[in-house]
Amino acid sequence: MKNIKIGVISFEHMHALSYTSALKDIEGVELIGIADSDSYRGTEMAAKFDTKYYKDYKEMLKTDVDGVIVCTNNMLHAQVVVGAANAQKDILVEKPFSVNYESAEIMLNACKKNDVNIMTAFPLRFNQAVINGKKAIDNGEIGKILSITGINHGKIPSGWFLDKNLSGGGCVMDHTVHIADLMRWFTQSEVKSVYAESGALIHNKGIDDCGILNVEFENGVFATIDTSWAHHDNYRIWPEIYMEIVGTEGVITIDAFKQSEEVYSKDSIYDDPWGSDGDADLIREFVDVIRERRKPLVTGLDGARAMEIALAAYKSSDSHKVEAVRRL
Amino acid sequence: MSKLLQTKVNHLRRDKVLRIAMVGAGTMGQVHSNSYINIKGGKLIAICDIQEEKAKKLADIHCAAYYVNFDEMLKNEDIDVVDICLPTYMHKEFVLKSIENNKNVFCEKPIALNVGDAEEMVESAREKGVKFSVGHVVRFFPAYEAAIRTIESGKIGTPKLIRTTRTGSYPSWGWRDWYGNYDLSGGPLLDLIIHDFDWIRHNFGDVERVYAKSLGNRKHGQDHCLVTLRLKNGAIVHSEGSWAYPSGSMFGTTFEIVGTDGQIEYDSRESSPIKKHIKDKEGSKIVMESPLPADEEPYTKEIQEFIDSIIEGRKPKISGEDAIKALKISLAAIESSKTGEAVVIGGGK
Repeated sequence: MKNIKIGVISFEHMHALSYTSALKDIEGVELIGIADSDSYRGTEMAAKFDTKYYKDYKEMLKTDVDGVIVCTNNMLHAQVVVGAANAQKDILVEKPFSVNYESAEIMLNACKKNDVNIMTAFPLRFNQAVINGKKAIDNGEIGKILSITGINHGKIPSGWFLDKNLSGGGCVMDHTVHIADLMRWFTQSEVKSVYAESGALIHNKGIDDCGILNVEFENGVFATIDTSWAHHDNYRIWPEIYMEIVGTEGVITIDAFKQSEEVYSKDSIYDDPWGSDGDADLIREFVDVIRERRKPLVTGLDGARAMEIALAAYKSSDSHKVEAVRRL
Repeated sequence: MSKLLQTKVNHLRRDKVLRIAMVGAGTMGQVHSNSYINIKGGKLIAICDIQEEKAKKLADIHCAAYYVNFDEMLKNEDIDVVDICLPTYMHKEFVLKSIENNKNVFCEKPIALNVGDAEEMVESAREKGVKFSVGHVVRFFPAYEAAIRTIESGKIGTPKLIRTTRTGSYPSWGWRDWYGNYDLSGGPLLDLIIHDFDWIRHNFGDVERVYAKSLGNRKHGQDHCLVTLRLKNGAIVHSEGSWAYPSGSMFGTTFEIVGTDGQIEYDSRESSPIKKHIKDKEGSKIVMESPLPADEEPYTKEIQEFIDSIIEGRKPKISGEDAIKALKISLAAIESSKTGEAVVIGGGK
């Protein structure tokens, strides 16, 4: 079997660390390099993972690499993804897929034109607790879904995440998408409209750190998504993913990182999860997609759909009205 | 306080035991009846319910008289306080009748089904100079009191994000299934989540906007409500109330308050110090208990507070105006759930 060659483009988003570690554990995968415009970070990571460093990702795209994992800041997704698509590389792009309609459309079109696969990094789809919750729903254990409450709380990130020009927004952009994607997956329906309240309330960083979305699906299901960077530094776990799914015959709650041990050391107290985190299986899926030349379980369009919900939320948060979700 | 008045108060404290009559011996009547066992300065002397057996059963505990006719009870008994544990749609009639007869009134929540009725009740009590309060008991639940103490200590800074839940199965035990008739109960947006609305408004500030979704009463016995509030001070609130859990599910409440410097979390289903694993017909069952000393029991505390307010000649902690404000939030939520748009609440600071 031919080795699958993967490159990682940028460690600007810290998830690159866990994705790259996962790559190293998969048999038949060759990490051909790490590209990063930040040469200090790039050489450090290349040394850590024992691979080649590229200052310019375009140089990496000229090689025979099969697929690339894009972990730049959100604003750069469009440029890098289009470049990779034009170079005929399959792509795994970090969430959020993009930050506006124009770039999302360009990204999807480039992948379509070049017939390459694009996946959005939604690792929760590969979290075992989420998978079992989805199975229970599909088996009809709670009947028909009526309503869902979703919470994705976490600590406030730093650096470019707090710069709207690079991130596209604060917690609403960063945290809407995971839960929105799971809700679309569970309900098999699209979000019709959004009402949201959000603001820079907790951390005084000038970017939205609190956000609650009310979303209504085409099939009548109503749901809320709490996207807040609500947790303070010493909170015991990062992140928190919680969903309560109310059906006609019962209720399921999913606490994705509940499988954890409590660690009490001299200088800190925290919960260390021992359950599945989904990252490894997300990366395995990307490798399998390349190897089997098939459509991914989570597509670029799934990423764009989730982004559209975050964009509608910002609109509603300004207008105080229910906003229809415009779809690409 | 003048010396004369102080003497009078001390006299009352020492000698006067307020004579309390209760109307309604259903679910809440039974809860209040248990509380009266430990009330100081008041005694349950008469109970009225159209179901005589229910009235008698509670009356026997307190060596009290029992009635099936409210007017007769008012006429025959020497009463200081009427405690109204009736379904919401009956509140106005019985509250007004009690006030007209110069009784102090403690009324179960929610105060009424609409603002007009509620204002009439509050105004009537003011005119007659009797005390009036409404059973927004969540303020007296120890976990909810502890959270407010923590916030007041400054530990978590200014509260900015507040989440509450109140979830369980449909209250099918109501008299003639009145909870299922939303014209009589208002559904969970009025009957259930108003507990959290009062606690939130009182402690965190007045509400600017309300957005709510609910299943409504399209299917009997299954409703689920998600409410988002924006407070005038900018804080965001998410309140969930459910009658959609399967019959027999454990009832539970939670809150999460995130402030600028920290946060507080509580889950009633995760805070029982006693867990019993007991053999039963189907193998075994788990029974959880969260016991409290008698004087820490929230229903006892809310009634004691009202009794004390009469004895001490001061305003009760929970005023009729408070009850109206909570009602307005519930009614705005109901309106939003029907129109599909956010509702702005007028007035307030």
